[in-house]
Amino acid sequence: MSSPSLTLASQERPVRRRLLEILGALAIAATYIYLVLNQPTDITGGPGSASALVALSGFLAGAVLLIIAVLPTLPASTLVLIPVALVLNIVLGQFVGSTLVPFYLDAIGTVLIAVLAGPAAGAATGALSSIVWSFFNPTVLPFAAGAALIGCLAGLAARYGLFRRFYLAPVAGFITGIIAGVVSAPVAAFVFGGTSGVATGAIVSAFRAMGDTLLAAITKQALLSDPMDKAIVFTIVALLVYALPRRTSQQFPFIRRHRVLAGKDQARKDQAAPGTGHTETPAPGTAPGTGLNG
Amino acid sequence: MAGGGPGSGGSTDRTGTPRNPALAADIRDFTFHGAPAPALRDVALSFAPGSFTAILGASGSGKSTLGKLLAGWLPPGGHGRLAGFLEVAGTRLEFDGGAGDPRINPASWGRHVGFVPQDPGTVLSTVRATVAEELAFGLENAGMERSAMRAAVDRTAGLLGLRGQLGQDPARLSGGQLRRLAIGCAIISGPPVLIMDEPFASLDAAGSHELSALVRRLLADGTAVVILSQAMDAPLLEAHHWVVLEDGTATASGAPHRMTADSSLVPAAIRRPGQEAVLSTARPAGPPPNSPAALQLNGVSFAYPAAGGDRIRGSRAPRGKRRGQAQGAAGLNPLPAVLEDVHLAVHPGEIIAVTGPNGAGKSTLLRHFNGLLRPTAGSVLVGGADISGVPVGRTAASVGLLFQHPRDQLFERTVGREVRFGLDRLFGATAEERAAAALEATGLSGHAGEHPAELPASAQRLLALATVLARRPAVLALDEPTVALDGIGLGLLDAAVRQAAAEGAAVVLVTHDLGYARSAAHRIVALDGGRLVPA
Amino acid sequence: MTVRSAAGIVAPARRERLNPLTLLAAAGSTAVMTTAAASWALSLAVAAACLGLSVAGGTARRLLPAAAAVLVPLGLSLLVLHGLFFPEGRTVLAEWGPARITAEGLGFAVQRILLLAAVVLALLVFSFSVSVPDLVAALSAKGVQGRFAFVLASTLTLLPAIAARAERIRQAQESRGLVVSRRLLSRAAAFRLQAVPLVLSLVEDAATRATALESRGFSAAGPRTSYREVADSRTQRILRIVLVLAAVAAIVVRVVPAGAGA
Repeated sequence: MSSPSLTLASQERPVRRRLLEILGALAIAATYIYLVLNQPTDITGGPGSASALVALSGFLAGAVLLIIAVLPTLPASTLVLIPVALVLNIVLGQFVGSTLVPFYLDAIGTVLIAVLAGPAAGAATGALSSIVWSFFNPTVLPFAAGAALIGCLAGLAARYGLFRRFYLAPVAGFITGIIAGVVSAPVAAFVFGGTSGVATGAIVSAFRAMGDTLLAAITKQALLSDPMDKAIVFTIVALLVYALPRRTSQQFPFIRRHRVLAGKDQARKDQAAPGTGHTETPAPGTAPGTGLNG
Repeated sequence: MAGGGPGSGGSTDRTGTPRNPALAADIRDFTFHGAPAPALRDVALSFAPGSFTAILGASGSGKSTLGKLLAGWLPPGGHGRLAGFLEVAGTRLEFDGGAGDPRINPASWGRHVGFVPQDPGTVLSTVRATVAEELAFGLENAGMERSAMRAAVDRTAGLLGLRGQLGQDPARLSGGQLRRLAIGCAIISGPPVLIMDEPFASLDAAGSHELSALVRRLLADGTAVVILSQAMDAPLLEAHHWVVLEDGTATASGAPHRMTADSSLVPAAIRRPGQEAVLSTARPAGPPPNSPAALQLNGVSFAYPAAGGDRIRGSRAPRGKRRGQAQGAAGLNPLPAVLEDVHLAVHPGEIIAVTGPNGAGKSTLLRHFNGLLRPTAGSVLVGGADISGVPVGRTAASVGLLFQHPRDQLFERTVGREVRFGLDRLFGATAEERAAAALEATGLSGHAGEHPAELPASAQRLLALATVLARRPAVLALDEPTVALDGIGLGLLDAAVRQAAAEGAAVVLVTHDLGYARSAAHRIVALDGGRLVPA
Repeated sequence: MTVRSAAGIVAPARRERLNPLTLLAAAGSTAVMTTAAASWALSLAVAAACLGLSVAGGTARRLLPAAAAVLVPLGLSLLVLHGLFFPEGRTVLAEWGPARITAEGLGFAVQRILLLAAVVLALLVFSFSVSVPDLVAALSAKGVQGRFAFVLASTLTLLPAIAARAERIRQAQESRGLVVSRRLLSRAAAFRLQAVPLVLSLVEDAATRATALESRGFSAAGPRTSYREVADSRTQRILRIVLVLAAVAAIVVRVVPAGAGA
């Protein structure tokens, strides 16, 4: 084995990656526009129609391009977190999913990475989450683009300080949910012809009973569930990130550079003040109703 | 490459005249980003080939930071700023904390300096299916030919005594095997220096014997071995050189016999061999006679279910603890009983120690005390009442259990909130006073505002102990309480246990440390082949 | 089902001869071509063939529950949705208030269910029969492929480990007096108490793992080798190219006329 230098040269950022990122985003946007414009002629065309293939290949190609663009640029410290995030999506999603029934909450890990490491890492995590999860549930594969979008938007929300105020996190989640829901609806409509859950299926049925087209009905259903779902996910993630000790959260350059979290020192000084035992001075990370000391 | 030199263990060249060192460093100042004070200052070290150095420091003294810095695991600039130099293989890198500092290439640094952190499970790649492939991971990344990789894997496995495990899933290894695998991952590329952080903690006598033999073989091959420890473990007496680290700076150094002779050179926070016996010259007073048992186990038997155990078996977390002995039978065959017809009665004021080697089922026994595990036969009585069918959370009011991994039990943002958690619901007005008393007893009064996860390992264990003490449970059960405690922590633990017993608690200590068991307990029982026998 | 089936995938049945990428190409192109053909007869045939393969390969006992967990709710949802509400339907079979059972609706639902069943089964046969270590070794260790392989393999390894750690944390919390009642608030509180130490320890472990991987050359430039030998042949390489081309052709044949007609 030859022994290369003990030190590293400075790194450069290749332009090609950026180009791939843009291509990926374009593929997703173009697919969505094509599907929305063509859908009226399509629904009676029968299953397995061209639209299903367009939705599948367009969204998937976009997600894969994003992964190709982002994955090689991530530092190892972010890369090893992605599998952890995917497992959290599953394990925490399952835990909450079993307690708070009407939501899926399967993006906790994705949003967590986005907040810790930024929009690019978040987008890659979202897309990878769908792809890896499709290993045991292939039906989530077509939602890769939507999941990438959630990760990206969560990262942008963190970047522009929406996690600095505790009440802003659910708002950011709500907006993310609207966008992600609208973008994912064509997949549900054209690939699956409906939704994958019985409860959500019932809501779509209600809109169909009122005479909506399938895409319209599914989009409306998505607008009912997704924003609320993402608001909860963002809140949970904010809770988790603020519960991390400062040394742990500040080890992420993204958090340091963009001051993602409110200065905790002030809050902690309040906490540490002697004799303030029971007077709860909620730090930014304290959600209303989670003061469990009582 | 670490070639096997059989039969030449033990005597190696002395480090009297430093030749060209394998690794040298002068750390004038190392400060973490945003930290108010330096983590390390004025530490100058040099390690000659084939030398054996022990760096002794209490929990929180900065020894892990020092180890990682030397090993390139904490590249200056990434997590903190370094002023000083690091020198490997004749190349000296100067740092002044500015933007022009060199950036360490961790991969090539790793080929010169191997590092094994405190928790060996965290170094596994998690993407290799067998021990052999895990060992080869670093060689694959260096582009080594397959035949050369096979030879290196075989040689390293022989050195580690892991030849029989090469085809196994790394997640199924026992604690001692996992430790050796982690060492193998660090040394397979043949680095001239190996640094190990607390390698002897939590190993029983057999495991620690194997590890010492491995260190001797490495030394004989000319590897410089550096061990970071908070205890003067017996194997460290073989070292050529000790360095004492206190509050981030080197305060003393010299040959072990000189350091042990002069007690002023080594601070009290560093555990000495046999310190327990000194701590407690008098054995604790016996329990009051004829009181009814606070905890009673009647004919308890237990076996892990073979089929439903899938989730546990796949886990890296319990680290073969439960299955250490059942390793060979971990197929679909029903697992052998971990506990068989166990009888135990612990009375108020009594301290009982349960000993046994790693993997004997001590933790399994402990989990029966509050119902986390339910016996397959027999019954468990707390305060005379059978706990079968009672939720664990309710039994917890009378049985305080302290686990091996304190971080699992901690979740609050400050130490103070952690100890107060749930107290006012149980005790109302006296909650505050109880919390304060528990913090006082564990020496944490001054840390009430800190984040539990930011405390040193020893203090984290003490905090977990404080959360249990604050409830003043009728039964206090501690799993390997001495592990990760430094000398001062051990003293606090000892006092707290005695105090609890004096106030009428029945105490059960589960430990592999026979010395501690002898000094602390009224009565010792050993878990052997699933049965409790007097020791 | 999720955690257990993941654990099942970690220890899969051995396929000695076929390269995992060939298996992947076969499963993927089957899924694409079945979707493109959109014929219920083909869907039925593919689904049956997949079940046959799975029985022959000895993976049926693990595959069937996983497939059922995906397909049963989806199928029920589609049947209710299109069976009862299909405004485009003309042939009304029965009617209660707003709900109309139409022949077109039922046909649409059944066709979709068959198609999805075929696609899901084809992909699941792959994931339950492929050896993940072989797949990881077959994807080159460098660049995007290597990093993707890392994410896949690491997730499958960590899934049971993290589930076990979550369980260990739950035990530790219960030992501190945590009683989880059925009330929503109590569960939410329990969630916070368990998620915080779980996430904290995972993030810290990941940081150590990243450093350890780096020191073992994880991000090193230069060529990589593989310790594990994975079967491959010229025939298989050609077969993979043919399968991918066939899938692309199927998409083009289906999409281009539709695009032109729109």
